[in-house]
Amino acid sequence: MKSGKIGVKYIVQTYGTILAMLAIIIIFSILRPDSFCTVRNFINITRQISLLVIISIGATMVMSVNEFDLSVGSMASLGGVMAALLAVNGQPLALCFILPILICFAIGWVNGWIVARFRVLSFITTLGMSTVLSGVIYKLTGGATVFQNIPQGFAWLGTKKFGEIPLLSVLMILFVAAFWFLMRHMSIGRKMYAIGGNEEAAKISGINVAKYKNMAFAFCAVLACITGMLVASRVGSANTTAGDGYFLQSYAAVFIGCTVSRQGVPNVAGTLIGAAILGILANGLTIMQSPTYMQDIITGSIIILAVIAQKLGQGDAK
Amino acid sequence: MKSLKKMFAVLLALTLVLSMAACGGTGNDGGDGDGDGGAASGLSGKKISVMTPYLGSVTTNQMVEFLKSGLEAGGAEVTVVNTDNDFGALASRIEDVVAAGTDGIVLVSADPNQVANQLQEAFDADIPVFGCDSGFIEGMQVNATSDNYQMGELIVKYLFDDLMGGKGTVIALTHRPHPGVVKRCEAFDDIIKDYPDIKLITEQHVPAEQPINDAQDIVENLLLANPDKDSVTAIWAAWDEPAIGATQALKEAGRDEVIVTGVDGNEQAISLIKEGTNLKATVQQNFEGMAQIVVDQMTKLFDGEELEKGEMYAPATLITPENAE
Repeated sequence: MKSGKIGVKYIVQTYGTILAMLAIIIIFSILRPDSFCTVRNFINITRQISLLVIISIGATMVMSVNEFDLSVGSMASLGGVMAALLAVNGQPLALCFILPILICFAIGWVNGWIVARFRVLSFITTLGMSTVLSGVIYKLTGGATVFQNIPQGFAWLGTKKFGEIPLLSVLMILFVAAFWFLMRHMSIGRKMYAIGGNEEAAKISGINVAKYKNMAFAFCAVLACITGMLVASRVGSANTTAGDGYFLQSYAAVFIGCTVSRQGVPNVAGTLIGAAILGILANGLTIMQSPTYMQDIITGSIIILAVIAQKLGQGDAK
Repeated sequence: MKSLKKMFAVLLALTLVLSMAACGGTGNDGGDGDGDGGAASGLSGKKISVMTPYLGSVTTNQMVEFLKSGLEAGGAEVTVVNTDNDFGALASRIEDVVAAGTDGIVLVSADPNQVANQLQEAFDADIPVFGCDSGFIEGMQVNATSDNYQMGELIVKYLFDDLMGGKGTVIALTHRPHPGVVKRCEAFDDIIKDYPDIKLITEQHVPAEQPINDAQDIVENLLLANPDKDSVTAIWAAWDEPAIGATQALKEAGRDEVIVTGVDGNEQAISLIKEGTNLKATVQQNFEGMAQIVVDQMTKLFDGEELEKGEMYAPATLITPENAE
């Protein structure tokens, strides 16, 4: 009898979030079998969550070293704005997409360096950086959305489809696979988790904490930048606040993602599931044509329930 | 440890200074050069604060630019303050410019009711407050705007009568927290009551951070819920950005039959109308006209004339494929 109980608990703890996601899919499929439960819609969902997933992978890495990056939103806006401005300026497209990555890599590195070198709270450092970046964006654009004279080719990354499959979905899968492998099977990932688990112990065991924190912030900045550039490419314009919407959502995805892991740590696969839950809810509730306020209430409640469930599971396990 | 704390303090200070420099420094450059040689206008030498939470919006930006050049031409010293969608910050910045003794405030695209307490401080200090496409509250001088309700009427009637022939289904993309947009929505609400053969499928709120992208997702999902050809006759967007997103989603889905309309007349929307896409019409607000009204009224005031307080309207025009340019 007792073992049976533990069995259920084990399943809920390990697969609870995934089961919840499946439940959501099943509910929508029953309610709207013709429109929600179609191959085309699932392809759609992958495209709709692709940008959120890419930016959230970055947030996952920073959280794996037990830090926060509040500048992801403005970093994404900056990426989009820089790419669009370069394109308007007539630069070769490859440069339009590579130069912002290099710049954001450097900014991310600075974030990490400040946090690691001065042991400053990452919260306040990146908050400051976020404000600085907003200023830079304002300076670059005069505050206006960049959309005039963007060359046709700029939209390729954001709109290209291979048959039915959008390039954005493919990119998302590639990013997830690459970073899942990096975090799970390479020494850099293991070291990051070691730092996140116990920084002092990691240091004593010879891990260069500063270096890995720098890397986490730099990767995070690059992924935010890529997200911002893809948004700009998708809509054909760069809004100065385009990234803001992703900031809270990306952390929601990471936190829901933590509940997928038994240790409750941020992980790439979990983040994918977290973003998928948010994306499926937005998609399904819009298909149900439910009013916006209901969508907000339901989505927010599910985020809270997911983290409560995780805590309860952990409490019982101890 | 102590030195670490010090370091932290220094860094924090540095961050704050940097962020302030980055935000505040931008107001003064760019427009240098003109402004000299202004006539002996009452505006000459006046410090004017042009304040908005929405500088990222194409049209708001356009108005701010017109205001800036118009006021500077009169010899005024213009500072532009933008708070990126944040009304709390806007309230604080208003308090700041009042405390700094600005000579005049122009609130652009922001509902004065949301910063009424801060504006009251300006009124108490005898600082004239103008609105440019904002709204009017007691104590302000003039708000120049389009009559948003009439613009809503203009486009909704054109959509229902001329484009839809009085029947069919419609999706509404709205953003009711915005003071101008909500009036267009009210016009939509009032008029649709008179058309029993037009059915509202759903109204969806589009957030302001990235309206094109979000509208694209929303419409894509709604098309899946309404997959049959002609199941959606039209999409009515309360401003141009979601109309652009809707048009992109329809194009991707190959739903040529769905009609889209916007409001604002931004350049991207007008070029889509010209190209013969799903986007069929918009209403062009006369932003230049609004900014001009503010500049004229402000000049009058500083020349010592008494103003007739209240709303002043710059007339709007319907843009269709025939007259899009």
